[in-house]
Amino acid sequence: MTDIQTTTDPGLLLLISLASGAKHGHAMLLDVERFAGVRLGPGTLYGALSRLETTGQVEALPAEGRRRPYRLTGAGKIALEQRLAGLSRAVSTGIARVSA
Amino acid sequence: MSRLITRLYPRAWRERYGTELSDLIDETGMSGRVAFDVARGASQEWTSQARLALAGGGSMVIGPAWRHPTAWAVVGAVVLLPTVLFIALSALAISNPFGDQFTSQRYLDLALLLAPALAALLAALPLVRVSYTPADGGPVATLSVRLRAVNMVVVITGLGITCLLVGHVLFESVLRLGA
Repeated sequence: MTDIQTTTDPGLLLLISLASGAKHGHAMLLDVERFAGVRLGPGTLYGALSRLETTGQVEALPAEGRRRPYRLTGAGKIALEQRLAGLSRAVSTGIARVSA
Repeated sequence: MSRLITRLYPRAWRERYGTELSDLIDETGMSGRVAFDVARGASQEWTSQARLALAGGGSMVIGPAWRHPTAWAVVGAVVLLPTVLFIALSALAISNPFGDQFTSQRYLDLALLLAPALAALLAALPLVRVSYTPADGGPVATLSVRLRAVNMVVVITGLGITCLLVGHVLFESVLRLGA
């Protein structure tokens, strides 16, 4: 089944954020707000992050002081590509139907 | 406050992400929206942990207050205190310890009536812990109960006052019906 989620899916937003490089929690929150206009709550962010780490899509790096950065894994990059491809098909279809 | 609210999460999750979450809350600032978001996140983690345990993928321990029994007893005592004071002062001031005040201000009455039961519950919470562990012969659920003097004093006092107040309210109602 194609994984089509809305752009407010926090897991997808975090994967997109980490695609540009490793970030800690607050940096992810600011980045997501910048590119998606969505302000994730701390509980939502860490809930999504823990699920992504459990499924091996992101991994934690050694802590920098009190902050711990996270980065995308190979599996996470593949999952992100698949999800974006699914979204892209849905968006293309939607635009074509609206324009028709 | 941020450290306190992260205690809503299951311990294993908290030990892994609690400090980071708490730091993020400090950075972004605490608000009603943030508190709701964290509470919702905690409930999702508990649900996730329960699903995992039921599927045989891990154990689950529910005993949120188990590690700080005295603190919970103190909180229970603080909740109980206004009702105890009210009863003591009423008993000293007039022959009917509950008097007219008890029937004139409904919300106050209700709060004073429920407080002892709530206090008993808060003090009893650290005395119980439930664990659910998958095993070869099927999952094993264990209920652990312990007795601690400080908590038991609050529990018994709270329950005693609750019974006293409920009895009084019922007695008053019967008298009113008969009049």
